[in-house]
Amino acid sequence: MFDNQPEHSIGGTGADRAALSAAGLHKAYGATVALEHADISLVAGKVHALLGENGAGKSTLVRILTGAVAPDAGGMMLNGKPYAPHSLLDARTRKVATAFQELSLIPNLSVAQNLLLPNLPRAFASMVSTRRTLEAGAEILARHGLDRIDPAAEVGRLALADRQRIEITRAIDNAGQVLILDEPTASLAETDWLFDQIRKATQRGVAVLYISHRLAEVREICTEATVLRNGTTIASVDLGDASDGDIFEMMVGRKFAHQRKPRVMRSASGEAARLAVMDLCGHDLQDMSFELRPGEILGVAALEGQGQQELFRMLVGIERPHSGRIEVDGAPVKFSGPRDALKIGSGIAYLPEERKTEGIFSGLSAATNVVLPVMGQAARGILISHGREISVAQAAADRVEMNPRYLSFPIGDLSGGNQQKALIARTLATGAQTLLLFDPSRGVDVGTKQSIYAAIRAFADDGGAVLFYSSELPEIVQLADRCLALYGGRITRRFKGAEITEQSLVAAMLGHVTPEITEGVLA
Amino acid sequence: MTEVQLQQPAFHDSRPGLVTRLLTGAGLIVMVYVLLYVLYAVQQPKALTSYSIAALINNTAPLALAAAGQAIIVISRGFDLSVAGVISICNVVLAVYPLEGPGGAAVSVLICLAIGAAVGVMNGYLVAVLKLQSIAATLATMIICQGIALVILKAPGGSVAEWISYEMTDRLWGVIPVSGLVLSAVLLIWMVLRRTSFGISLYAIGADESAAALSGINTTRVRLLAHVVAGCAYGLAGFMLSAQTATGNPSAGTPLLMLTFAAVALGGTSLSGGRGGIFATMAGAATLTLLQKVLFSAGIASFYTGMFQGAVLILAVVFSAFLVRLGDRK
Amino acid sequence: MTATSKTAPPETGFTQNGDTRGSARVTRETVSTVSVAILCVMLLLSARLINPALGSWSQVETVLVLGFFLVVLSFGQGVVILTGGLDLSLPATITMGGILATSWVGAGNPGEWYLLPGVLVACGLVGLATSAGVIWLRVPPFIMSMAMSIIVASGLLGYTRGTPRGAAPDAAVVLMKSHVFGLPTPVVALVIFAIAGWLFQSRTVYGRYLYAVGTNVDAARNAGVPVTLIRILPYVISAVCAGFVGIALVGYSNGATLRMGDDYLLPSIAAVVIGGSSILGGRGTFLGTVGGALLLTILGTIISALGLEFGLRTIIEGSIILFALLVLREELFQKLRSFGR
Repeated sequence: MFDNQPEHSIGGTGADRAALSAAGLHKAYGATVALEHADISLVAGKVHALLGENGAGKSTLVRILTGAVAPDAGGMMLNGKPYAPHSLLDARTRKVATAFQELSLIPNLSVAQNLLLPNLPRAFASMVSTRRTLEAGAEILARHGLDRIDPAAEVGRLALADRQRIEITRAIDNAGQVLILDEPTASLAETDWLFDQIRKATQRGVAVLYISHRLAEVREICTEATVLRNGTTIASVDLGDASDGDIFEMMVGRKFAHQRKPRVMRSASGEAARLAVMDLCGHDLQDMSFELRPGEILGVAALEGQGQQELFRMLVGIERPHSGRIEVDGAPVKFSGPRDALKIGSGIAYLPEERKTEGIFSGLSAATNVVLPVMGQAARGILISHGREISVAQAAADRVEMNPRYLSFPIGDLSGGNQQKALIARTLATGAQTLLLFDPSRGVDVGTKQSIYAAIRAFADDGGAVLFYSSELPEIVQLADRCLALYGGRITRRFKGAEITEQSLVAAMLGHVTPEITEGVLA
Repeated sequence: MTEVQLQQPAFHDSRPGLVTRLLTGAGLIVMVYVLLYVLYAVQQPKALTSYSIAALINNTAPLALAAAGQAIIVISRGFDLSVAGVISICNVVLAVYPLEGPGGAAVSVLICLAIGAAVGVMNGYLVAVLKLQSIAATLATMIICQGIALVILKAPGGSVAEWISYEMTDRLWGVIPVSGLVLSAVLLIWMVLRRTSFGISLYAIGADESAAALSGINTTRVRLLAHVVAGCAYGLAGFMLSAQTATGNPSAGTPLLMLTFAAVALGGTSLSGGRGGIFATMAGAATLTLLQKVLFSAGIASFYTGMFQGAVLILAVVFSAFLVRLGDRK
Repeated sequence: MTATSKTAPPETGFTQNGDTRGSARVTRETVSTVSVAILCVMLLLSARLINPALGSWSQVETVLVLGFFLVVLSFGQGVVILTGGLDLSLPATITMGGILATSWVGAGNPGEWYLLPGVLVACGLVGLATSAGVIWLRVPPFIMSMAMSIIVASGLLGYTRGTPRGAAPDAAVVLMKSHVFGLPTPVVALVIFAIAGWLFQSRTVYGRYLYAVGTNVDAARNAGVPVTLIRILPYVISAVCAGFVGIALVGYSNGATLRMGDDYLLPSIAAVVIGGSSILGGRGTFLGTVGGALLLTILGTIISALGLEFGLRTIIEGSIILFALLVLREELFQKLRSFGR
C-alpha cells in the first residue's frame, strides 16, 4: 500500500523528505501536561535520536507515535499522508513498529508465536497451523542473525538479553516505514548485533527513532537528534555539530558540572567493618567476600543479571545464602528480612531496584512513604499525629533536597524524580548506619541525580557506610571510593580511588581483561 | 564480530523436561483418578458395570462442564463466581417451564446457552470493558442471578421435562452414557478452540495482559469472548444438572461454586493464569465426584463431607501451585 | 486499543509544569463517605412517605441495633479487604460463635466471663488457619476462606448433629436488650465501636501498616514493615468480629441456627465496597464502611416493610454492589479531579 523504498534515502534533514513528521503535539493527563508542544521529523534511511531527561515527555511522544494514545492537539504525517493511528495495531498496519523498553513478549507462548502475533498462519477451521508458525518464526530469526534461538522455545525461559533481541527483531520485521526503539540496549551487553540490524533496516529505507540515555551509543548510530525538555521540543540538531556539553545544556537547561568530587575518606582502618561478607554462596553467587567500613562508599559494577540483585537481597534477608557468613559491626548475623536488617547492630536500610513495584505506596502520602519504617516516631501514644509525621518526614526530605510541600501529596502523583528522592529519604529516616542502594538514581533526571549524590556523600561524610549498585558507569566513577566488579556471580576485580575509570570497569564487567574487547565495546 | 554475549553465563534451559511436562499436564490427575477408581471398585464390585459407570459420568457431568467454564476464565487470569448463579437460573427455568420431547429439549438447551451467554456478556462487559476486578464483578452478578432465580422459583419444587431427565441420563445402546457424549463434544470444541487465535490469545492474556495488548491482541474482545464461552459452559452445566435432579432449586448452583475451583486446581491449572487445560479440569471434576462416592461407601457420615471437600480444595490449590513452580524451575 | 498498565500515566509530575495544582483533592474516600451519609438520611426521610412509622425515632433505633451486627462484621471484612484479601468464611464463623455460645456457655452459666472470650479465641483460631493458608500455602484468599467456611460449617453440622441446642448466655442478652443513657446498649456500642475502629484503621501504626501491605506487599517488606505479622491479624480480627456477632445474634434472637450467618456475608462485602474501599486493597476508611453498613440496613428495613420478596431484595443488593463498584472506579476519580483544576 505504501512505497517502501523512497528514492532519496540519503540526504539532509528536511521536513519535505520526512518519512514521519509530527508537529505541535500536545497531550495532557488530567491536570498534568505530559507533552506541551512537540515537533519531530524522521527521515527515511536515517537513525534519529530522541533525547531528554526523565519526565521530559519522551515516553508520551513515543506512545503517540505508536498509536497507544491520541494527542489532544497537533498532527502527524506519514509519507505525506495524514497519520493518526488509533491503536498499536493500526500503526503497525501502516508499517510503524515499536520495540518497547518494558518488553511486550508473552512468556508462555513460543518465540515463533510471539514473532507472528496477532496474525498467525491459519490451517483449516480457522485453527492456527503450528508447523507453518514455526517455519515462519525460524525464517524471521534466521533473517536477523538469531538462528541459534529455537523458534519453538517458550519465551519465558529465554535469557533476558535474548528476550530483548526477540522484541527488537519483531519490531524490525514489522517496520516497513518507521522503527521505534525505546531503550533497546537496556539488557544488551553489546551493541554489535543491534547496530547491524539497525543498519540493515536503514538500508531498506526505514526511518528509525532511537531512544536511549547512553549518549555514546547515540553518537555511534544516530546522525541527528531531537531534544525534549518539559514536554517541548527544544531543538533538532545534527549530532556531528553538537558537543556533549551542548546536548546536556539543551536537555537540562543549564550547564552541566561533571567532575569527580574528591572526598576525604573518614574511615580509619582500626574501626570494625559495618558490614563484612565472607565466602557468601547461594543462588548464582559464588564465594563473595568484601568489607564495608564506616564512612565508605562502595560501588558494585556489573552487567544486567550478574548476581547483584541476589547479593543485595541476601544482605537484607529477602533471599537466603546457601553458605558463607555475613557480619554486622563484627558480629555474625542471619537476617529474616529487611525489617530484621534495620534492627540488627547499627542497622541496614535497603533501596530496592524497581521504584514503582518494590518501592512506593502510590495511594499513601509522600510523608507516610518516608516515615513508614519508623512509623512509631510519628505517633503520640498509640495514635499517629499528622504534624509529627510531617516533621519526621521533612527532616529526611531536607537531606535529599526534596521540596517539603510535596510531602502531603499522594506519592503516586509526584514525578519519578521526587518519588526516588522520597525513597532515598526513607532509607535515611530509618537511622540505619549502612545503606544498600540498588541503582539509586535509576530513571531520574540529572538535577535529581546530583541531589541524590550529594545526600549519599553527606551520609558517608557523617560516618555512614554505603553499598550501591549502578547501571550507569559514570555514576560509579563519580561516587564510589572503592568498587567491586561482578561477573557470573563472582567478584572479578576490586578497584580503589583513581583506578575507577569507565574503561577499567567495563573490562572487568565483561569477565576478562583483554584490551581488544575493551576497545571494541567502548568505541 | 566479537560475540561477547555468548560468553554470558546461561542460567536457563529453554524447554521443560519430559517428567515435568507429564506431571504438569493432565497425566497426573488421570493417574489419581484411575487409582481412586481401583479403590472404589475394591469397595464396590458393582462399580465396573456399565450402569454404575454411566451413573458416575452422569453425576460428574454438571460439575465437569461448570469447571470447564471456570477453567477458561482462570486460564485468562480471572475468577468467575457467577457460575453458581447461571446454573441456578437455568435449573429453575427448566423446572418452571418444562418443554417436552426432543424438540423441547433442543429449545431448552438453547435457552440455557442463551442465559449463560447473556450473563457472560454482562460479566465480560464489566471485567473486560469497564476493567472491574473479576472476583468483585462476578460476585455482584452472582448475587443478582441468585435473586433472579429466587424470583422465578421461591422454594425448591417444579419438575424438569421427563424427556430431558430420562434421555440425558440414559445410555445409547445400553452402553454409552449420553452425558459422556456431551462431555466429549465439549472437549472436542475446546480442542479446536484452543488452537485458534482465540485460544492462543486466551493463554497470552492470562500470562501477561499488557504484553498481549502490545503484541496486537485485542485483549478486551478475547476476555469478553472468554466470559461468553464460559457462560455457555455454565448454561450447559445447568441443563445437565436439571436432567440429573429432575426438579428445580433456586440455589442449585451454590454447592458447585467451590467445587469448580477445586476441580480447576486439581487439574493442575494455575490459579495465577496462563496455564492449564479443560481435559485436566474435567478429570479433576471427575476425581472430586468419585471421591465423594468413595467417602460415602467407606461409611463416612455425610455431615463431614464438607471437611473433606474443603481440605481437598486447599490441597489441590497448593498442589497446582507447586506443579507450576516445578515447571518453571526445570 | 486498550490502555493497559504498561502504557501507564506519564512520568511528568509537578517538577515541570509550573506546579499549578493545589492539595485540595477529590478523594474517593471523602466522596463516598459523604454521599453515603447523605443517602442514608435521604432514605430515612423518604421512607416516611411510604409508611409514616418508618422514619420515626424508634425506627431509627431499630435500624441502628440491626446495623450494629453489620458494622462489626464489616469492620473485620474491611480490614481483610484493606490488605487485598476477601473473607468468605464469615457465615461459618458467625454460626460458630452462636452455636458455641449456646452449647458451651448457655444461659445462667457463672463461668461465662471466661467462656465467652474462649468462644472468641476459638473463632480467632479459625481466622488464624485462614491466614496460615493465605500466607504460607499461598492459597488465594477467597478460596482459602471459602474452604475454611465449608470445613467449619461441616464441623458444626457434625457437632450439633443438625440441631443446635441451648439458650443465649446472659451477657449476650444483656448486651442486646439493655439500655444505657436512655439508648439501647447496641446503639451506644455501635458508636463506640465505630470511633474505635476508625482510629484503629486510620490513626495507629498497625493501621497504617495495613494500608502499606494492602497497597504493595513487596514494597512493604522492603521498607521494613513486619509484613507477616501484619498479614496474619486481619483474618483473625475478622473471625473474632464474626464470632462476636454470632454471640450478639443469639443474645438478640435467643437461639442459634446452623444458617444464622448466611445472610451476612454479602452485605459485609457490600458495606465495605459501598463505603469507598477498593476491593483491591490499600484504600478506604472505616467511617465510609460504617455508612455503607447503615445504608444497607436501612434499605433492608424498607424492603421488608414494603413486603418485597427475598429474591428482589437479593437482586437489589447485588445491583448496589455493582453500582458502587462502577461508581468508585479509579478512572472516574481521575476525571473528576481534572474537572476540578
